[in-house]
Order: sequence, then structure tokens, then C-alpha cells
Amino acid sequence: MKPTTFDARSEIYRNKSQTTARLRNLSIFVFSILLLAYVLGPIAWLLSSSFQTEAEIVSVPPHWIPDEPTLKNFEAIFFSEFEEVTYDTRKKADPVSGGYIPSTAKDLLPSMWNSFLVSIAVVMLNLFVGVPAAYAMAKIRFWGRDGTIYTILTTRVIPDIALVVPFFLVIKNLGLLDHIASLIVTYLAVTVPFTVFILVSFFESLPDELDKAARVDGCSRLQTLNKVFLPLSLPSLVAVMLFAFLTSWNEFLLALMFTQTIASQTLPIIVAGFTSDFTISFSFINAAGVIAVIPPVVLAVMFERYIVSGLTAGAVKG
Amino acid sequence: MRSSPKRDIKFRLARRFDYESRSAALFILPVMSVLAIVAVFPILYSFYTSFFNLKLTRPHRVPFVWFDNYIKVLSDELFWASVSRTVSFTVMSVAAILVLSLSIAILLNESFRGRRLLSAIILIPWAIPTVANGLLWKWIYDSGFGALNGLLFQLGIIDSYITWLGDSDKTIPLISNSFVWKEVPLAAILILVTMKSIPEDLYRAAKVDGANVFKRFIHITIPSLKPGFMLVMIYETMMAIRHFDLFFLLTEGGPAEASHVVSWQIYVETFRNLSFGTGSAMSYILALVTFALAYFIIRTLGSKL
Repeated sequence: MKPTTFDARSEIYRNKSQTTARLRNLSIFVFSILLLAYVLGPIAWLLSSSFQTEAEIVSVPPHWIPDEPTLKNFEAIFFSEFEEVTYDTRKKADPVSGGYIPSTAKDLLPSMWNSFLVSIAVVMLNLFVGVPAAYAMAKIRFWGRDGTIYTILTTRVIPDIALVVPFFLVIKNLGLLDHIASLIVTYLAVTVPFTVFILVSFFESLPDELDKAARVDGCSRLQTLNKVFLPLSLPSLVAVMLFAFLTSWNEFLLALMFTQTIASQTLPIIVAGFTSDFTISFSFINAAGVIAVIPPVVLAVMFERYIVSGLTAGAVKG
Repeated sequence: MRSSPKRDIKFRLARRFDYESRSAALFILPVMSVLAIVAVFPILYSFYTSFFNLKLTRPHRVPFVWFDNYIKVLSDELFWASVSRTVSFTVMSVAAILVLSLSIAILLNESFRGRRLLSAIILIPWAIPTVANGLLWKWIYDSGFGALNGLLFQLGIIDSYITWLGDSDKTIPLISNSFVWKEVPLAAILILVTMKSIPEDLYRAAKVDGANVFKRFIHITIPSLKPGFMLVMIYETMMAIRHFDLFFLLTEGGPAEASHVVSWQIYVETFRNLSFGTGSAMSYILALVTFALAYFIIRTLGSKL
């Protein structure tokens, strides 16, 4: 007899849907693990090597987890000012690999401070310059509005490498060579198009009635922006600030061209200086890498929801 | 004095319009002046230099040479070799980014426990500095003590340690891999954001009509993802074509000329050969190609996808 009763049929369906659900959960689990391994594997290896000693880091096959974890590399970064020859002891202890800490190790913290100053300044200027412009483009109808938006976006199509030479000449004529102001100005130009783009899309998504109501109530344009639009746009503002900060913190090419001494050199430049020197121990380089990675990663993970919501406003409409 | 109401209105309208334009101009002035000095002027200036035979090794004689720089660049075999490397780097990177970011977006579009944490964690590669990305992968690819050799050796896939970045056949794919690793998170988020904007009704209607999961994916998800896909494709193509940092950090164009891409060629021409004229010409060719490509992607794929 065929299972035509209601109960029997529902039994089949239930079993089927349970299997599907289990299959779904299993595949989600497997893919999540794969994704985590792909994303975190390299980072974990960086972290692990930064805690290894000179002798351990050159073991074949590598030690995935250090046998005798050491903080020596981080000590060398944070306390290098107090020691003249930082790794003398280790050098004696391990002559084969010649555990060597560069004299530029002491530049790491000052360069981090430079990076920080530059990034904060770029973020502030981005808001100061970008917010009014985005508001005007989104809500004020004026002649040349579309042209302005396209001009701003087009400046980003030209590859940075193509602009380095003329940038260099401008910076030189402004007398800003080897000064962090050179980086602030150029990073502002690099980041502000994106800021304007995201904020224009966000302001456009807010109803025009808001704007009109405020204007009818006697607000000036500036007041409308400050009192009505800014409080509503916090998520987009956070996203924009974060993008500007990360771009400035991470930028490499322009800093490589404009900075010569520790008066203006940023973290990426100092770290890159380590990687091209074959005499420097890998574990030390990796420790420097860890130091460079921590601030942006903390920021990105903390403000993840703002990144997503900020991009939602800008990207979906394309 | 008697004022006619008609004139009054006109006067006020004119004033109002004036105020609007004035405030718009005032709001836009800061951004435009910054961009004029640090973006528009440099762009025009480098266009101008591309017509001169400007060499820093010979700074006092700078003849105007019309299109000679462009002709010189375009007839240079080295340049075309670097173009083909840039093309292969771009194609493999963008393809990998699209596939990976689509799969990640599909995963993160499901609801499951730990989803929020996972989507925060995947942003990490995007957030880290390129320099850190470079040193990280340089260390992984290291042929003496790197993790890649170690892992493959321990898994028994290779019998002895092999050269990675030093092997000219593997250089471009390996650099592309580290580029993709950094670029995928943002691409995945962009696609995910588009995916989330697909109205739920479409799926319900399709379900009622008897479409299974697979059919729903093909007929609803894929077409609706078009804007996100386009954005990712254009953005990542632009990023890959111009990419410089990893070539500098990982190989410095080597071994021999295996990773001489166009951006590296521009760097060498400008800063090592100090030949600003041809360097600028190359830069402009690269910029025009980027423009054209973005336009081409929008026009052809935009209507087909």
C-alpha cells in the first residue's frame, strides 16, 4: 500500500526538511571554518613568528606554535631608546643566524606617532572640507553640480604612481618636503573624493522635505546642515572617517616619495625599510608588522557595522 | 516709497537664488581648492610633461617633442611585455576576487550563530597596511623558512622545499594571491550589501511559482547583483591595473623581469632612469586605458549581465 495518508506524507517531508537543514548547517560550518582559516591563517603565522626566538624561527619545518615564546622582539621596539646595542646578547647567543636588530628600531614608535598625527589630521580635514561640499551637491541645485561631482571622482581614476612626480613638484614648491604636512595635503586629495561620494549618496537618500522644512523655519544653509543633516548622518560620517583614517594609516607610495627622515616618516616606511634588509631577523620584522597591524584591525573590527552601513548608502545605488 | 508687489517678489526670488548659489559655492570652495592644488594641477602638469623630453640626468635641455614620448613608449618591447604581465595579473586577480567575494557574500547572507563575528573578522585583511600585507606574504613565501613550504612539506604534497617568488613562472600568481587576500573583504561586503537589498518578495513569489533554490539563485540573485558586481569589477580592475606596492615590497620587479608590470615600469622609468617625460607618457597611457576599460565594462557587461 502506498503511504497516502496525511501522517505518512508529512513524516516524509519532515525527514526531508530535517536532512536539508542539517546539510545546510554543516555546509555553513565547513565554509565558515575554511573562511576563517583563509583570513586568519596568515595573520596567525605573523603573530606566532613575532614571538619566536632567532633560533626557532629558522627551524625546518617551521614551528607553528613557538616552543619558547619570547617578548624580546617587542622589547627591542619599545625599549630600544634605552639600549645602545639592542641585540648584543642575542647575537652572542646565536651567532649562526646573526640575530640582528637594526638601528632604525628606535624609529618605530616616533613613526607610529607621525602616522597617527597624519591620519587624525586627514580625518578632520576630510570632514571639514567634504561634508559641506557633499551637502551642497546633494541638496542645493546650482549650475555645474554634475560637473563638480564628475570632476571630483575623475581625480581618482588617474593612478597614484602617475601623479607622484607632479605631486612631488607641488610639495617642493610649497616647501613641505620631509614634513608631515606634505602627507596630510596629498592624503586629503586622495581620500576626499570617496568621502564626498559616500556622503552625497547618503544625503540624497534623505528626503528633500527635511531640507525644505528647515529652510522654511528660517534656518540658513549652514544651520540646516548642522542641525538637521549632521545628526542624522552619524553612521555615514563614522564610515567616512574610518576610511580616511585607514587609507592614511596604510598609505605607502606617497610617503615613500615625500619623506626622508624620521621627522616625517610614517610607520609603513619604517617597516618597509626592515623588509628590504636581509640582515634583520625575521622575528623582529614580524613583530614590527604586528605593531603596524594592531591599530587598523582594532578600528575595523570595532566599527564593522558602520563600514557596512556607510557602504550601503553609497554602493547600492552605484 | 511704494513698492509693487510683483517687483518685490522678483527681488526676493533673485536674492534667494543668489543666496543658494552663494552658499553652494562657499560649501564647495574648500574641496575644490584642495583638489585644484593637489589633484587637478598635478594631473594637467604631468600631461604637459609628457610632451617634453624631460630627463633629470640632463636638466638644462628640455625640448618639446610632441608625441615622441608616446611613440617611444608604445614601440618599446619591454613596455608591451609589462602590459601583458599587468593584464594577466589583473585578469587572475579580478576573477579570483569575484568568485571568492560572491561565495563569501552567499555565506554571510545566511543567518547563523556567529555570523556577525565572522563578518567583522573577515575585514581584517582589508584593514591591515599594504606594507604589513607585503611582509606577511614575503615571509610566508620565503623559500628557506616560510610557512607555505613548511605546510606543503608537512602535508606531504612536496618532497623538498621549493622556490616560490624566485621562480619567474610563479611570481605573478603569488603576488596576485596576496593582492586578492587583501581585496576580497571589501568586495565581499559590497556584494553582500547588494544582496541584502534584494526584496524578499521576489523570492517568495518565485517559491510560490515552484522555483527551487538553485533556480531562485540563477534567476533572482544573480541578476539583482548586477550593480554590486559591476562596482566590484570596475573598482578592483582599477586597483589591480595600477597596483604598485606589493610589486615593490615582494619582488622589486624581479626575478629578472618576471614581475615588471606597467606600474613598476613607470616607477623605474621615472625614479631610476629619471626620465620624467616618458614616465609621464606611460602614466597617461595607463590612465586612459583605465578610463576606457571602466567605460567598456559599464557599456558591454552592464547591458548583458
